[in-house]
Amino acid sequence: MGMKDTAIVGFAETKIVEKSDKDVWELGADILESLLDSTGFEKQEIDGLILSSSMTGSGNCFWSQTTADQLALEVDFCQTVDIGGCSPTAALARAAIAIDAGLCTTVLCLFADTQAAENNQRPRSFQAEWTVPQGVLGPPTSFGFISSRYDHQFGLDLRALGKLAVAQRDGALLNDLACEKLRKPITVDDYINSRMIADPVRLLDSVMVCDGASGLLITSKKNAARKGLDKIVVPVGYGERTTYRASESIVDVTDTGHRIAGERAFKQAGMKASDIASFHPYDDFIIAIMLQMEMLGFCKQGEGAAFIREHEFNHLGDLPLNTGGGQISAGQVGLAGGGTNLVEAVRQLFGAGGKRQVKNTKNALVTGIGGIPYARNWSSSVVMILTPNA
Amino acid sequence: MTAINDTLHITREPPKWRTHSRPFWDATREKKLIIQYDKEVGKYQFFPRPTSIFTGKRRNLEWREVSGKGEVYSFTTVHRARPPFQGHEPFFIAVVRLKEDVQVMGNMVNCTLEQMKIGLPVKPYWAPLTNGTHLLMFEPDV
Repeated sequence: MGMKDTAIVGFAETKIVEKSDKDVWELGADILESLLDSTGFEKQEIDGLILSSSMTGSGNCFWSQTTADQLALEVDFCQTVDIGGCSPTAALARAAIAIDAGLCTTVLCLFADTQAAENNQRPRSFQAEWTVPQGVLGPPTSFGFISSRYDHQFGLDLRALGKLAVAQRDGALLNDLACEKLRKPITVDDYINSRMIADPVRLLDSVMVCDGASGLLITSKKNAARKGLDKIVVPVGYGERTTYRASESIVDVTDTGHRIAGERAFKQAGMKASDIASFHPYDDFIIAIMLQMEMLGFCKQGEGAAFIREHEFNHLGDLPLNTGGGQISAGQVGLAGGGTNLVEAVRQLFGAGGKRQVKNTKNALVTGIGGIPYARNWSSSVVMILTPNA
Repeated sequence: MTAINDTLHITREPPKWRTHSRPFWDATREKKLIIQYDKEVGKYQFFPRPTSIFTGKRRNLEWREVSGKGEVYSFTTVHRARPPFQGHEPFFIAVVRLKEDVQVMGNMVNCTLEQMKIGLPVKPYWAPLTNGTHLLMFEPDV
């Protein structure tokens, strides 16, 4: 696979806000302009467009095509990726594939959603028939029973989970683009004492839906060199798994598709978890971070809390984690939220972390979680390993 | 003992069935639980799917009546809900593992906070819906 022959040449993100007063396409246009400015590319050089799904765009069956039209991008490859919170990282993988296959040369990956201001979602899933009548509130309920089961099997260490919440919040304090409402310091006790949502899931375990956009510009390594862009980030390993264990009627909800996606990504990159310099896991709920540590091999299954106690996760720590606050402390930009941690990883590898720059930029690990299935953990898991010019 | 809302007085819209789930809902009119069984592999599946989750061969699926007895695999106590459940918190949502090895989600009734635990034996509780069908919930099997 020629994924390593592609280069991320630019990244962009807007301020994350509680409710956007700008149209979702205007946010997209902000991202486009920012990427053109930072890379020196002309709009006409962009010949591919890949979008993450968007709650705002979800009423439109022509979402990628309509967005290309709004931004006046004439492209040879155009699609929306619809695997929930995995979509932004999966969009980057698909951009690399499309470039490698010769379908296009330069791709705008755009992650924009204004779910808080304009949610057009009309889900057609199991939910209306099988969970809504029981009062299931989607993700918080699922993470409630995932957490209860984890507690039963391994024990739940609230102070360890709180340590992750505090580390992410400290990142948001250093991130001017994080949602202002969330940029207030918290302690482990604040985390433990925060309001119960779906026992044992608390308010400070959970993401807050926000609005905003982010994006990446991806081109072939050859083209980046031709343009004189020496600062690039390269995807070197990727794994994706949707509907893990779909063919089984009973599953262990503490075992997730990241086990498989991670194995594939690490093998492709020729790395293991202990090689990772900074970690940018998808964070819809705090416990999801710990489950991913276990599934990706940072520690054994059930030993996440001990691993958390032994490591430091702020930007100066030995394993910097979601250094911009993650979604939980920067705000979840609807279905584009996976872009927040992805762009933070790229930002760090570009050395553009500013006040929160990590020291070790030899690589970064990004993940995605997408979709909440019936009585399981989540529907899609993706894992991407990035390096600076490799 | 800490009482948890049984949610029985909440008015719920009867779910719209799909062509492949209609037999399930029809059976609930008589408080019967039928679930899909793949006769080739000898395994059950839930919720009703358009095909066998095991083999992809829908012709091997049949409906079988089961007792609905099982035990709590996991649960959450919901403290924040949307209408029409809002204001009726706290209430339980349980994931129940039936004896037939399928996982089913449902509200738990007639159960205190102290009683609720993983491994608790449960049996079906059928809550009437306005169209004559019933919603499958659970209660302790004591």
